[in-house]
Amino acid sequence: MSDKPARAIKLNVINEPKDSYTGGKSSLCPGCGHDQISSVIVNSAWENGIKPHRIAKMSGIGCSSKTPAYYLGQSHGFNTVHGRMPSVTTGANVVNADLTYLGVSGDGDSASIGIGQLIHAIRRNVNMVYIIENNGVYGLTKGQYSATADVGSKKKKGTVNETQPIDLCAMAINLGCSFVARSFSGSKKQLTAIIKAAMSHKGFALIDVISPCVTFNNNDESLRSYGYVKDNSAELHSVGYIPHFSPLEQVEVPAGSYRDITLHDGSTMRLETISEDHNISDAVAALTALHKADAERKHVMGLLYFDGDKPSLDADLNLHDTPIVEMGEEILRPSAAQLDDVISALRG
Amino acid sequence: MDKIVNDFTINIATANGTGSQSANLILLQTLFDMGIPVSGKNLFPSNISGLPTWYIVRLSEKGYQAPGDRTHIQVLVNPATWEEDLAALEPGTVVIWNTDSKMEMNRDDVISYPVPMTKIARGLNPKLARMIANVVYVGVIAELLGMDQEVLEASISKQFGGKAKAIELNSEAARLGRNYCAEELSEVCPYAVKARDVEAGGFFVEGNEAVALGSIFGGVQMLSWYPITPSSSLAEGIIAWLPELRTHEGKATYAVLQAEDELAAAGMVIGAGWAGARGMTATSGPGISLMQEFIGLSYFAEVPSVFWDVNRVGPSTGLPTRTQQGDLAMLYEGSHGDTQHIVFIPGTVEECFEFGWRIFDAAERYQTPAFGFSDLDLGMNRWACHGFEYPDEPMDRGKVVLTKEQMDSIENYGRYRDVDGDGIPYRTLPGSGLDPILYRGTGHDEDGTYSEKPDVYYKLMARLKRKIDGARDQLPAPVLREEAEQDIGIIFYGSMENTIEEIDDILETETGKKVSTCRVRALPLHSEVQAFVERHNTVIILEINRDAQLNGIMRKEYPNHLLDKMHSVAYSDGMPPRARLYAERIMDVLKEVGA
Repeated sequence: MSDKPARAIKLNVINEPKDSYTGGKSSLCPGCGHDQISSVIVNSAWENGIKPHRIAKMSGIGCSSKTPAYYLGQSHGFNTVHGRMPSVTTGANVVNADLTYLGVSGDGDSASIGIGQLIHAIRRNVNMVYIIENNGVYGLTKGQYSATADVGSKKKKGTVNETQPIDLCAMAINLGCSFVARSFSGSKKQLTAIIKAAMSHKGFALIDVISPCVTFNNNDESLRSYGYVKDNSAELHSVGYIPHFSPLEQVEVPAGSYRDITLHDGSTMRLETISEDHNISDAVAALTALHKADAERKHVMGLLYFDGDKPSLDADLNLHDTPIVEMGEEILRPSAAQLDDVISALRG
Repeated sequence: MDKIVNDFTINIATANGTGSQSANLILLQTLFDMGIPVSGKNLFPSNISGLPTWYIVRLSEKGYQAPGDRTHIQVLVNPATWEEDLAALEPGTVVIWNTDSKMEMNRDDVISYPVPMTKIARGLNPKLARMIANVVYVGVIAELLGMDQEVLEASISKQFGGKAKAIELNSEAARLGRNYCAEELSEVCPYAVKARDVEAGGFFVEGNEAVALGSIFGGVQMLSWYPITPSSSLAEGIIAWLPELRTHEGKATYAVLQAEDELAAAGMVIGAGWAGARGMTATSGPGISLMQEFIGLSYFAEVPSVFWDVNRVGPSTGLPTRTQQGDLAMLYEGSHGDTQHIVFIPGTVEECFEFGWRIFDAAERYQTPAFGFSDLDLGMNRWACHGFEYPDEPMDRGKVVLTKEQMDSIENYGRYRDVDGDGIPYRTLPGSGLDPILYRGTGHDEDGTYSEKPDVYYKLMARLKRKIDGARDQLPAPVLREEAEQDIGIIFYGSMENTIEEIDDILETETGKKVSTCRVRALPLHSEVQAFVERHNTVIILEINRDAQLNGIMRKEYPNHLLDKMHSVAYSDGMPPRARLYAERIMDVLKEVGA
């Protein structure tokens, strides 16, 4: 028998250990950016104190879309079909708006086969977090370029990509997406703050995360390799997140200039200026930042655009406060007297 | 000469977008309200304005609902089809024609009623002349046939829903048509109508609206749809009735989403089903084609979903405003790989309502896609309805585990484990905190974990087969109308219901043989359908398509000893079925096989 006392397990604000947020063992390639994102998701959900069973994890098809098996093992999930996760999430969201919808997708899903569904989910402002694990290549089918591959970039095998990429952040800003950010799987601190803030936001939060493919697109000539992204990031600001359950006054205030944004659940996103100030309410400034970085062959990082006032889809539908899914027959099936009224009306 | 009473067909040739549909519905409603068995078929183009439209009104003492074999009264308004329509008429046909159309009347073997419809209408209201000219021909028909003016005006009032100005204008147009006919036209019309006892409580309704109401009484929680003829009015019917029927404390107990395409519509239905709600969509063949991938996901991941297919003519864009039963095989075996789906096939507007609510019970009971199969003829035409019966069973939400106690009482729970031996597993819902699972379209074991193991896959597919097979006798049984002889049996489905009686009468009159019928109302086939085949010497499988789709399904599933006596009559030209055309094809087959 050991006399050693059991080590205290660290609990979050709702007294859950981190283990309640972890998932199965990853089968992705060792070093894959996606695994880093999965671990950030686990940390973010745990630190935010969301009940694990109140999260719905959604995905499409591809390496990224396999990852819901690797985090949040206590959450229901749906690994749907290629590019169609937005519509499935939309259908679930309107009948049960009380869950936190966390979608994970890839650049094949989001920029090619499912770009239409992504666009329309943004247009409807579905209340969900939409993470794109963006590596510029199709992994599961062995390394073909995707529609986000940068011009002049070269993957491990094959020729240089000459086709204009689709910048999903620029697209989302133009569509009026209420939360648009870009980050890097290797920037754990920044990514954690952004994902936490996205979970606190009510509306569509798009996070485009550059997540290098170690097998097919991590060579020096690639613009999405670990090395290239590390050396060529243009950070808009440093992003901090203060949860609603931590009083703001207890948080150390940065020395330089900063801006606090209150999110829907009362949490705060704190953006500290690094060199020049970026106005997250200005879509033109966000697009300028993207184009400027593009011209310099850099990846802009941070919260590009934010609109906290845009109503989300579920708010648009005049839904009852009780989620539709929780309603019983007495509410869902009109009465026999109502049928009589219908028939009288049809008789004219 | 005795007049032919309540037994003839009126064909009205107009152009769409000219207001003729209102006039035609007034005519139909008037005849219906006089107690005369009547049906109306709208043959319309895929166009907003200006292309040919025909409206066929069949009056039949026997209650036949199909368009008749020939036209007895022709109304000619549209110059575009004038010559063709006129040439097709049999001698002796009554022709009511608009002399303002600047077209010739070059037939002297028809009974001609020239009417300056536009001029009369212009005298009443120059701006709306084109519209109200249509009501002028309704007035002429009313006078020729001896229709009751009071009933006619009540129909006008019904059609324009209390809009006083429109009612007055149209009533006056009808009166002017009547007067013109009485004063200027002296030819004797060989046709007449006579009022009959009016069926108490009867009304007209389109199949699509009946499905819409059925869906609401089935507790639809999410409707997603993408507009497509001929299903749009189904979704719009739901949207129109929901606020009145499903508002609770001033708030919606439903969500409606107009999707960006049919793929998204299907995805939303599956999302709602995954979350635990009753989701549905309404579409037509092209939409079902686009939904195939999601249909497979719903089947394989076992997520309830409801799809209504209001069939139009395929393949491809086909004839978008014509009718067919061409999607049956696609529904039954939709999506890649081995699949098999539940299909509800209503044949009447009463069944459209009933299956509208029942289909949700089936989708949730079997955790699978369930299809409603209607067609343009049933869905978009107005049919006489005897009433809707309130659901006689509570909602069946299927095997959903809602509490921890329930979960604990299930031994060896697994999302895809067949605990009860009926092939139907239990499920938990997102947000419930009970046994979470990552749903997937990939291979999975009984716990829902990814698996490519041969025996796991084989057993899963065998269970799915067993599950859907188990639904056969729980789904609507066929409607049998059997003769004692049990010689010739006809198996048919869907909107053919409205023509079968007339086909049956032609066959019995012309072959002297008794004919039994069996109307299939669901797939997979009920065991009574096979028993019907067993009992009859010669079986005809009658359908409105080219490829004999039901026949194919039966041949695949039925034992060899039955195959020799099963014969197909499958024909489709886009038109609603005409009895003689199908009866003759049946007689050809009977002759060929020596029956």
